[in-house]
Amino acid sequence: MKKFLKSFKVCFIILGVLAVFYFGLTGIHSLTGSLKNGSRENTECTTEERVFDLADVLSDKEEEKLRKLIARREAQTGCDIVLVTLNESLREYAYERQEYVAEDKYVMIYADDFYDEHMFGYDKPQGNGVLFLDNLHREDDGWAYSWLCTTGKAEGKYSSSMIDHLLEKSYRWSKLSPYLGYKAYINQFYHDMNGFGFVSINFSVPIILIVSLVTAVGFVLCNLGSEAGKKTTTANTYVKNGKVKINHREDRFIRKSVAQHRIQNSSSGGGHGGGGGGHHVSSGGVSHGGGGHRH
Amino acid sequence: MIYKCKNCGGNVVYHPDKKKMYCPHCDGTDSEEEVRSSVITECANCGAPMEVSGYTSACKCEHCGSYTILEERVEGEFTPHLILPFQISKEKAVKLLEKEFQSRYFTPGTFLSAATLQGMEGIYVPFFLYDYLATFDYAGTGTKVRSWRSGNTEYVETSYFRVERNLNIDFDRIPVDASINMEDGKMDLLEPFDAKALEAFQKKYMSGFLGEKFSEGLMDLEPRAQEKARRDSEELLRETLSGYTTLQADRKHLNFQRQKAEYALLPVWVYYYSYHGKKYTYYINGQSGKILGKTPVSKGKVFAYGSAAWGFLFTMMLLVKMILEVL
Repeated sequence: MKKFLKSFKVCFIILGVLAVFYFGLTGIHSLTGSLKNGSRENTECTTEERVFDLADVLSDKEEEKLRKLIARREAQTGCDIVLVTLNESLREYAYERQEYVAEDKYVMIYADDFYDEHMFGYDKPQGNGVLFLDNLHREDDGWAYSWLCTTGKAEGKYSSSMIDHLLEKSYRWSKLSPYLGYKAYINQFYHDMNGFGFVSINFSVPIILIVSLVTAVGFVLCNLGSEAGKKTTTANTYVKNGKVKINHREDRFIRKSVAQHRIQNSSSGGGHGGGGGGHHVSSGGVSHGGGGHRH
Repeated sequence: MIYKCKNCGGNVVYHPDKKKMYCPHCDGTDSEEEVRSSVITECANCGAPMEVSGYTSACKCEHCGSYTILEERVEGEFTPHLILPFQISKEKAVKLLEKEFQSRYFTPGTFLSAATLQGMEGIYVPFFLYDYLATFDYAGTGTKVRSWRSGNTEYVETSYFRVERNLNIDFDRIPVDASINMEDGKMDLLEPFDAKALEAFQKKYMSGFLGEKFSEGLMDLEPRAQEKARRDSEELLRETLSGYTTLQADRKHLNFQRQKAEYALLPVWVYYYSYHGKKYTYYINGQSGKILGKTPVSKGKVFAYGSAAWGFLFTMMLLVKMILEVL
């Protein structure tokens, strides 16, 4: 047992260091959160509500818990945090406002307008804040769309890949329960706003479980079948003085031939374009960032 | 016959570290005297009956632990020319095994326990040592290829050479084990034994160890010796032919002339270990200390270490993921 624990000493140290690092980081976030942001200055906002559960996927108790979490996170991020759930087609809504809209942008228009019309913003109307719109309704193309609308300093902070990460994480948790998905959205937003903006790769827990299992199996296999004893004799182990007597050695040049051929130049072509952005101006003239997901 | 101590009557054995005859009972050195037994199947010390198998030339009495040498099996036609006395003592051999396997994660706790180590014995294994003078005659065509580019054209130049070699290789004491009880492949892997440490045969070196007389004949084993010599010769020839891109032989004659063959006893420690019905055999070269054998595996430890490693890796990756998400 002692030997067993001893061989994992380094592992315990690594885990300890990582845990300290993690709790250190979250500690710094809550510290900077409480120091950096002053009190809310927007007086024109039309509502105190932040959780608009129009699709009715949350229980009253869950809504209350999210409201409390949002209140805390708003003070820590200096941003309004809004959650809207819907279960209706936004096609007509979008076409009323624009001539042509792609399916995945219906939610963008609705989210931007929702934010603008309610005058959300921590520092000023239509100022710092974020809105997560989760529409459960499947549009004509068979997909259900969600959208994260960022404004003000949240727009500045969030890159497309950060938005992707947040939506992906929230979606993954929402498979367990919608409440957990929305909670993940609020907490991830808080960490993103107070962090360095590092985009993590979305490793899901099952993938980590499998990767660690495969590595552990590799460790076992590496330590399993090792056999001691390899061939340690060489060709001259049994040769007297280790030397060969060369009686005759001849390497006589006879002839040579030269072949030639033309080299075909192959040219490579093609390229690829990158995507990006997410920044746009809403119908109300407010600059928003954002990104969507479908599932 | 056995070697008895003149001082205390104990069984005197050859001690590899002291390189002397040694009495473990009274600590005396070189105090041995030969005591013969009238019946081969009786222990010369206690008289207990001994089970002597067909090729055994030295054995241990199960009752009193004395080491008996069966003289008639190391005399006459069975007299070894040479013996390589054990240079690695049992203690050293155990330490070597410990070093090799004990530190491995899945080695069962009972590996090298006092009880199982009791059965570990040093054995003098019969070998024939063959001396050959090899003559290797080779002739063929070799090519060397060189290529370069000029503009859009690639040139490939092939030069042809007449290649001839005539070599003499003096093989000295190629060992082939002459025991049907020992696996040939294992004995080959135990090589090399240092031929310089060989001495003229003396019975006393066998005291304290088990021994066998040859159970395969000198002529029967010659093909194995020649095969070893042929493999080495081919490689030595190849070494003299380096630098060619291709070689096409049109003459290749390898001829062996046996100069000498000697019968020798070479030292090998053998340790049998059995764990949950699985049998493991370990061989240790009694001269160089080279070890052969498979790592013993405890399924319980595999499970414990495997799941602990999994748990650790999973927690570590999860923590890294959590850190990256709040970074």
